[in-house]
Amino acid sequence: MRLIKLFFAVAALAFITTPAIQAEEAYLNYKSYCMQCHGMHGKGDGVNVPAMNVLPRDHNDNKYMMTRTNTEIYNAIKFGGQSVNKSIKMPAWGDTFTEEELHQLVGHIRTLCCESEIIRGVNFK
Amino acid sequence: MNRFILVALLALTVSPALVSAGDTGTDILENSCSSCHDLKGPAPQTIHALWKRDAPDLFYAGNKFQREWLIEWLQKPVRIRPAGVNYLRTINSTPINQDVSKKGRKYDVLWGEVLKPLKHVTLNKDNAEAVADALMQLTPNNDLTAEMALDDAQDVDLDSGELLIDKVYGCLSCHQIEPGYGGYTGAELYTAGKRLQAEYMLSYIKRPKNWDPKIWMPNGNVKPDDLQKIANYLILLSKEDFNASN
Ligand code: HEC
Repeated sequence: MRLIKLFFAVAALAFITTPAIQAEEAYLNYKSYCMQCHGMHGKGDGVNVPAMNVLPRDHNDNKYMMTRTNTEIYNAIKFGGQSVNKSIKMPAWGDTFTEEELHQLVGHIRTLCCESEIIRGVNFK
Repeated sequence: MNRFILVALLALTVSPALVSAGDTGTDILENSCSSCHDLKGPAPQTIHALWKRDAPDLFYAGNKFQREWLIEWLQKPVRIRPAGVNYLRTINSTPINQDVSKKGRKYDVLWGEVLKPLKHVTLNKDNAEAVADALMQLTPNNDLTAEMALDDAQDVDLDSGELLIDKVYGCLSCHQIEPGYGGYTGAELYTAGKRLQAEYMLSYIKRPKNWDPKIWMPNGNVKPDDLQKIANYLILLSKEDFNASN
């Protein structure tokens, strides 16, 4: 019994800590590559925006972001805005990030917009 | 902060008397430049390493710059990237007291040293030439530039060049094509044509990662013809007199 409990404890710990490290990497990546347009807090208010003629998406806009599937967000990041019928002003980052990093960024964006849905366990597809 | 004091001190101590008669340029590079600039490579391999970068990497300067531009710039250094070399340090979240009456919206802002004129060592003409010569010797990326050649038959006028930079590839979001026109986080483009070698521009735009693995400039998947047009446009643009128009 003891052993089984220990096993579950270790498994649970691994489950909790891995996402935490990933979350930090994704946060760093978001801050390094996306913040110049999407803003320090993802509100679409980056330092470059006054010079832009298309507004970067506000990733805190829960109502809009809930209409996007994870696949759409993934495609927008990897292949650029054009791939999801949005502006080319959203660049393609497929050459910058690994597959893993791309998925982590999708996860990070979900924490910016949809925290309460994540807690409720909504499946974003 | 310490960095700036260091630069100021170095500026005071760099005098021709201190450098040996041998290879003046290389000596100045070692003594006065290497504390901020990477002269050896490789470029930062992780995002953490990139955050630590203080000044542009110079270890491939001979593959990148035009000698004449270097000589001029070293005598009269000015800022090339409005948000600095490392924008992660110079952007501040929307301040609470930002005046929104004019723009109607709040945005993140530049702050700190980057709002003041660039602090950098200034060289006299002889030393500037010596340093430029030494920099031009640093060519570890010949393989990258050798693949590229400018096709000046693919020329464009300023309007169609601007169309590529703005509407087609969106470079303008981060880069300026005249002083004050364009974004802040990239290097100014209106001097690129006289600052940079054509082969470097072609190669870097084609795949920034080949030069700087973690850099925030994305690969714009620029079509080969458009790549040539953009390089020709940047060369044409750099011949404009921006002081006259202001
Ligand atoms: C050069 C500025 C710029 C940068 C840098 C940038 N974006 Fe964007 N992004 C935009 C713009 C502009 C839009 C809005 C496009 C539209 O609405 O047509 C956008 C939209 C998006 C969207 C929403 C797409 C949709 O379905 O509405 C996502 C997701 C996104 N960006 C993620 C990112 C991520 C992640 C990064 C960093 C890796 C990033 N962006 C970096 C400009 C940028």
